[in-house]
Amino acid sequence: MSGFIRKRLIEDNAALVQLLGLCPLLAVSNTVINSLGLAIATVFTLVLTNTLVSLIKPVISKEIRISIFVLIIASVVTALEMFMNAYFHELYLILGIFIPLIVTNCIIMARAEAFASKNTLWLSIKDGFFTGLGFALVLIAIGAIREIIGNGSLFNQAHLLFGKFGHYLEWQIFSDYQGFLIAILPPGAFFVLAILIAIKNKASKNT
Amino acid sequence: MNNFIKLPLILSALTFLASGIVMFSESATHEKIAEQKKLLLLASLKQLIPNDLHDNDITQNTLDVYESTTLGHRKKQVIYIGSIKNIPKVHAIPVTARNGYSGDIDIMVGIKANGDITSVKILEQHETPGLGDLIEAHKSNWIEQFPNQSLSRISPNNWKVKRDGGQFDQITGATISPRAVVDAIKQALLYHQEHFLKTKTEKKQ
Repeated sequence: MSGFIRKRLIEDNAALVQLLGLCPLLAVSNTVINSLGLAIATVFTLVLTNTLVSLIKPVISKEIRISIFVLIIASVVTALEMFMNAYFHELYLILGIFIPLIVTNCIIMARAEAFASKNTLWLSIKDGFFTGLGFALVLIAIGAIREIIGNGSLFNQAHLLFGKFGHYLEWQIFSDYQGFLIAILPPGAFFVLAILIAIKNKASKNT
Repeated sequence: MNNFIKLPLILSALTFLASGIVMFSESATHEKIAEQKKLLLLASLKQLIPNDLHDNDITQNTLDVYESTTLGHRKKQVIYIGSIKNIPKVHAIPVTARNGYSGDIDIMVGIKANGDITSVKILEQHETPGLGDLIEAHKSNWIEQFPNQSLSRISPNNWKVKRDGGQFDQITGATISPRAVVDAIKQALLYHQEHFLKTKTEKKQ
């Protein structure tokens, strides 16, 4: 793994190290499929906004750069929201407010400001993709852990994302599982995130 | 001074670009979104208004209703009507239970012309996961005790959960949510009785 990718996936991971974008991370991660839906949307947004910002960087001047970023991010997310509404309608209804709230995800503004407005198109696209992927992996991991502990299942309601094929993915790991409520409720998200951060810190100390 | 003209120009040009993106997405998706909404509505009405009880387009045959005191509505709602040859067979009546454990419970009750319930559907609820949310069909079979019941079988006085001296099962550990739902269904039935029910004298004619 090149340093560029490694940095974005692990060393400077947006969710575990920079602790950015925690609001959707904690709120939506109660099942894998919810996590996956928001993860894909976030990666898409990051790649698109980084692309656009990098493309128009010759005309961005320092005084109005923030307004321009906000404008671009807001319109990209609005467009994405409409497409999700059209093609993944039920998932869109579940994720609800967290799709438009991608606008306020600091990761996206941070990458536009710190990277895409200063680097070439190709590097910016790569940066958007791998930063997004780093965030997405944490989001999905939290979703998986909470769903397994809380529901004893994995990929529940996968048909929302994969259509009919999704029904084959649904996997009840423990049958007759009574459920562990706190993992599904908001506190569970904090506990799981804290454990992941602790593991990450421990691992990077050892190397 | 140069910036005074340049910056607004850049910003407006980019605003045009951004509006373009949004306009393009809107025109590319709005038909599909309307279609999806209709499909979802039809799917959710499917149990309330079974296929053999209507031959009309349910999404077109509707009635606006706003009953804040009896049906608990907080805004204008829609009654969907399934009819065969223009004779109404089933009414799907929206009712909001305001006395749930946390927030409103939005319910849809399908009621046949003779007062029998076809099915009850919980549209939206925020009850405690694992306890109160067992009122939902995919979480437990509690809601399945209502189809085919009617006020002529169980009188309004007995239309309560067993703990309150009525006929319906409650959910262990959660009394408030079932009580709210049972009461809301009763309100829907009473509303149906008052507005749509064919009285026996009418049937004879």
